[in-house]
Amino acid sequence: MSYESIIVYSPRSLAEALDILAQRREQIRPIAGGTDVMVMIKDGVLKEKELLNLSYVPELSYIKESDSSILIAVRQIGSPQIQNLGTIGGNLGTASPAGDSIPPLYVLNATVKLQKVGGSREVPIDKFFLGPRKTVREPDELITEIKIEKMEPGTYYFFQKLGLRSANAISIVSAAGSLLLQEGTVKYLRLALGAVAPTVIRAKDAEDAAKDQPLTEQLIDRIARLASEATRPITDIRGTAEYRRKATYGVVYEALYYIMKGMGKKVEYGVESGS
Amino acid sequence: MTSTESVVSRYESLNRSIPRIDSEDKVRGTLLYVTDIRLENALYAFTFRSKVAHGKINRIETEDAEKVNGVKAVLTYKDIPSLNGYGAIVPEIPVLAYDKVRYYGEPIALVAAESVEAGLEALSRIKVDITPLPVIRSIEEALDDNAPKIHEKGNIARHTIVKKGNVDKARASAYVVLERTYETPMQKHMYLEPEGGVAYIDENGTLNVIAGGQTPYRDKLQIARVLGISPDKIRVKNSPTGGAFGGKDDVTVQIHLALLAYKTKRPVRLTWSREESGIAGFHRTSSKIKLRTAAAKDGTLLSNEAAIYLDSGAYQSFGPTILDVSIETINGPYRVPNYYIDAYLVYTNNGLASAFRGFGAPESNFAIESMMNELADELKMDPIDLRLKNILRTGETGPFNNIIRHSEGLEEALKRAKEVFYRPDPSTPFARTGVGVAVAIKGVGFGTLPDFPTAAIEVVPEGKVRIMFSNVDYGQGINTGNAQLVAEKLQIPVSQIEVYHSDTKYSPDTGGSSASRSTFNAGNALLAACEKALSELRLEAASYFMTSSSSVTYRGGNFYYKDRSINIYELAKRLRSRGKSTFFEATYEVPRYPEPVEGTLEVPHMVYMYGVMVSKVEIDEMLGKIRPLEVDFIADIGNVINPAIAAGQIEGGVIQGLGYSLTEYYSYDKDGRPLNINYTTYIVPTAKDSPMINVEFVRTYEELGPFGAKGVGEIGIIPVGASISDAVADAIGKRPYRLPILPWDFI
Repeated sequence: MSYESIIVYSPRSLAEALDILAQRREQIRPIAGGTDVMVMIKDGVLKEKELLNLSYVPELSYIKESDSSILIAVRQIGSPQIQNLGTIGGNLGTASPAGDSIPPLYVLNATVKLQKVGGSREVPIDKFFLGPRKTVREPDELITEIKIEKMEPGTYYFFQKLGLRSANAISIVSAAGSLLLQEGTVKYLRLALGAVAPTVIRAKDAEDAAKDQPLTEQLIDRIARLASEATRPITDIRGTAEYRRKATYGVVYEALYYIMKGMGKKVEYGVESGS
Repeated sequence: MTSTESVVSRYESLNRSIPRIDSEDKVRGTLLYVTDIRLENALYAFTFRSKVAHGKINRIETEDAEKVNGVKAVLTYKDIPSLNGYGAIVPEIPVLAYDKVRYYGEPIALVAAESVEAGLEALSRIKVDITPLPVIRSIEEALDDNAPKIHEKGNIARHTIVKKGNVDKARASAYVVLERTYETPMQKHMYLEPEGGVAYIDENGTLNVIAGGQTPYRDKLQIARVLGISPDKIRVKNSPTGGAFGGKDDVTVQIHLALLAYKTKRPVRLTWSREESGIAGFHRTSSKIKLRTAAAKDGTLLSNEAAIYLDSGAYQSFGPTILDVSIETINGPYRVPNYYIDAYLVYTNNGLASAFRGFGAPESNFAIESMMNELADELKMDPIDLRLKNILRTGETGPFNNIIRHSEGLEEALKRAKEVFYRPDPSTPFARTGVGVAVAIKGVGFGTLPDFPTAAIEVVPEGKVRIMFSNVDYGQGINTGNAQLVAEKLQIPVSQIEVYHSDTKYSPDTGGSSASRSTFNAGNALLAACEKALSELRLEAASYFMTSSSSVTYRGGNFYYKDRSINIYELAKRLRSRGKSTFFEATYEVPRYPEPVEGTLEVPHMVYMYGVMVSKVEIDEMLGKIRPLEVDFIADIGNVINPAIAAGQIEGGVIQGLGYSLTEYYSYDKDGRPLNINYTTYIVPTAKDSPMINVEFVRTYEELGPFGAKGVGEIGIIPVGASISDAVADAIGKRPYRLPILPWDFI
């Protein structure tokens, strides 16, 4: 398919965007930064022949903070170079198990707001994805808002991704976690793993095993092992299933080890003390 | 750090890191690369490629495609006027497939249309009927007795044995004998500018082909052979090209462009997409090398036995000579009194292998240098001492009966390497660190093959000296380096020099940019042209001064006699006013041994570059992450014309070698479809992955070279695989025998 055969709608308001979506439904594909959709067009694999360009919808661009949550509109994700085009909404809509913004959203108990003409619903993040590139979004719905829980002061958090190179590499394994420690005991652990299953997953068994336990090397080993066992990885051009399983263990182990040692500022592993 | 102190420059042109003369245009974005060129009224060209990796072509139907509105030509093998073949060494690669297809993506038809849409529509309407044949994906499969034959003559493109002494006897007396098998992957060049260009017939009837390339005169000949017209009716211009690394040394788009322009009589534009480049562009030969090497207790090498297998892909491009370089470098820079090299170039259905920076040397280097490091382990010797014990010294006779002209630079580099050879401290509790070393050798130019580069200079009365040569500046900086050489010779500022290069309309045939030869060969030819110019201008000066030429002196662009002087531009004006030319052309005969060693095509070389690379790595065994921390690269490239450019060449080579060692592995699925054809899946390192690279040059002077220079382009990449894998071995206590070293190989 060449670019010229695609019709692009560029609504100037959310209402207009939802109207178009209601009319065009399966024929149209919402596009924000286009970092994924444009590649699909180039490769000739995008089935829709129309695009709904969300770049000029003012209602989709904000961050709001309340007492218990932060609302992020879909066009707000800031990072340099090509990634500064990408959006959280786009990352969710694309639904790649390797999408890097997704594991942190699991850890933050995010909810995704889906809006259509005359209604809206909020879907918890772990109910949003159905599989690789599949979500619960109906064709007339638009992702308009993502709500995340605020982390308690003192919460440790981490995000670590492994790719074959340091930049612009699709994750082979990624992990995000948050952990609250009280006098050396884990009050709670949340752990999400990316690129190791058809969707991002929460490592529930690992989280349960950590609850109310002292954070020791033995516990870390157990958590990391349970996390690794929770994966259902595949072998592809980027890495083998076995490696993904082993590396999941390593990523989780190292992140928790640094937290245990109070080395939260270790930039190499993306661990910083929460505030 | 680079040595910047002047070795020989008397006129401030040499040994100086002047900015590249094309850098302003590049920084401003005003430089038009060949694929940026848009011609008025040009047709868009597309290539119809095989979706079968190996098969017999029964039928090609183009009628439907021809009917598409706006389509001006659909060409198949039937439309080729003369030879349906090209290839730098043997012209066996079909321009358009006719009886068989031998790799996925092999071109079958060409389309030229008024619009992109019409062209793509036509492509979708071409029908081919191909009976698939079993696909051969590896050297082992190709050599199997029952393997289907890719070519009528079988799956061995070239086999040769090169030997000396008695390896059995030597091995019997050895203290240690190691036998190991080493493997290296196919590597893609991944130049930023994919293959592409334009072609048109000008008002004089000349067919102009302007395309990214490396060797314009050979391209011109290859086009002429296919069209069956005289090369005089063809002009090839190759510059500026956005990266090549050997991947544009043989023909890519040039013949297709020429055919389409010739048939349609219209300007034509053809640029491969990134994915097309990934599928149909060239790549480095993969290798499998079995070594059995014997040494005495004191580390003296006694014998080296090698079975070398290179995967040439579906056809031979530079394969035969790549095999030669792998043979030449399998003994390293060492005194090897007995050797037996059994070398094979093998056909598979893995695309097209061809030249890639190092040209067979990185493949062999990984084997022999890994072997040297393991021998050092076995002998409990320092690996650098083991090398110092075995390197050939200046004046000695090398393994291929060549006299070593200079190796004192290598000795100095090894001694310097000792100072930086230590294991660094790990930076995390999960990390292990290691240090590794490897030594590289690579000949400059084409060995014993005849090479007669011609270059020219023109002294322009308006105050410029034009220099003309056909080597391509594809980013390596040859234009600047050659301008510096000429400036030094004529004792004038570089700013007075204008470069005309890689265009058969203006540049004499200096050959192409390959084999690290451009400084040495074009430089020497240019200096010879300068000699001619100075000699002619001296006569003119003598006539002007009304004295004898022997009483005239030359300095800084001026001829002097007593208290009078005249500069070269005024002299040029005087010559022109009498109808005489101020264009001076000279041919340089590249020194070579008269005959190749038995069993080879071009071994040995006369002039060699050397490099010693010390790598430090950190490995997280839990994550399987290898991070290069620091690289020290000490090189002997002869006198250094431009230290910044030369260091840049080595840094680029090292980073490209890090990709080869750690992340890059071009691969095919079971049906012979290439899997990683763009930057998303073919992982080249970025600046973020690059360690600190310290480049140092030992000070040497090669008398045969232009102002003592040798060459630099390839030496950086050659030792990287062995050096990095030695550092990995030091860190984890397990030696890698295969590149790249991937996380899942060791955790």
